[in-house]
Amino acid sequence: MGFSLYSLIEAALLCVNAVAILNEQRFLSKINVDNQNYPGAGAYGNDHQNAGGAKQQLLTLIRSVRTVMRVPLIAFNIITILFLILFG
Amino acid sequence: MHSADDPVHRSKNHFHPSTAQASNGYEGDYTVPHTRSAPSQNAFFSPQSAFYSSSSQQTIPTNQVASSMELLSNNPFLNVGIKAVGDSMKDITGKTVNMLPNEMKKSLSSIKDYFAVDQIYVMKKLSLLLFPFRPRNWSVGYSADGPVPPRVDTNAPDYYIPLMSVMTYVLVAGLVLGTQNRFTPEQLGMHASSALVWNIIEIGLLCLTFYILNIQSKLRTLDLIAYCGYKYVGMIAALSSYLATHSLFVYRCSLLYVSISLSYFLIKCLRLKILPDTSGSHTYNANGNARRVYLLLAIVLIQPLFIWYLTRHLIVT
Repeated sequence: MGFSLYSLIEAALLCVNAVAILNEQRFLSKINVDNQNYPGAGAYGNDHQNAGGAKQQLLTLIRSVRTVMRVPLIAFNIITILFLILFG
Repeated sequence: MHSADDPVHRSKNHFHPSTAQASNGYEGDYTVPHTRSAPSQNAFFSPQSAFYSSSSQQTIPTNQVASSMELLSNNPFLNVGIKAVGDSMKDITGKTVNMLPNEMKKSLSSIKDYFAVDQIYVMKKLSLLLFPFRPRNWSVGYSADGPVPPRVDTNAPDYYIPLMSVMTYVLVAGLVLGTQNRFTPEQLGMHASSALVWNIIEIGLLCLTFYILNIQSKLRTLDLIAYCGYKYVGMIAALSSYLATHSLFVYRCSLLYVSISLSYFLIKCLRLKILPDTSGSHTYNANGNARRVYLLLAIVLIQPLFIWYLTRHLIVT
């Protein structure tokens, strides 16, 4: 119950770390195999929202998070580690 | 002026300690009164230090805090400094706001719309939140640039009620803790930050769900923030009923009633925005419709869950 803003920041950092360290070969390519058979699934406009669309969106989200957050994550992690070392 | 003579006059009596106390002459109002005569003996004596010592000598017997505030407002140098800092801050914030992308600028200016409420709107909205069961028209009017401000249309969401009800929730929670002899001032801050954090988590998860399920709806994120804030009104109602009667049965009944009325209110409000238009061309995807219905149900069902979760630790059987 006693959540603070700091615990939210810590949880968000851990979640983003978890997304960033997913292994491409073992995990993401397996999910991608199911979607590759339907390459144009998401391209027919927004009216056709089939069940595969959710997976596409999730994969796009994961891929974009990994691309964008690689370098800033290093910085955030270093800052958090220093913060925890100094202030416990 | 006579007070300016006092440091000079007093310094003649306190000649010896002057050099030792010259360093803490500027903190004169935080130490024992007799050290404040030191600045007049100081080689760095200036009208500024006389100003400090004179005004602090006059007010020391009354209140330390009041004297420091007087120092801050009376000193002309500090006034100029504060004004310079204020202007530069406005400059910096103006520049950073202009650097934001265009959509965010529009959102920032439209936040002002959400606060444009008046008393009639607040009364109507509160009575609607607590008793939404009368048949009425729930559609929101639209103007040329976007949604209508709440002053004009009763159905429009606003930020005033959620903001005030969060603050009232923190205060009422403190009150309930006080009646149980469990109150410490840290609890207020803890409740406030918990409410903020849970709100952030809830809205973040909902926005993520909207994105992943690829649902294009007319509901803007800012509106969603407002609708998620209306549950605090129900929380206050449930908590105050518990406070008045101290009975678990009354608390549970009011919790149930508040949940039902809030769910009804939210379904009626969000139905027009999330569920697809019946007259438009979006009617041909059954899967999309099902997703929207499930999402609406999810939004409506987590509100009572939050109401229960954020109030249950305050209830003692």
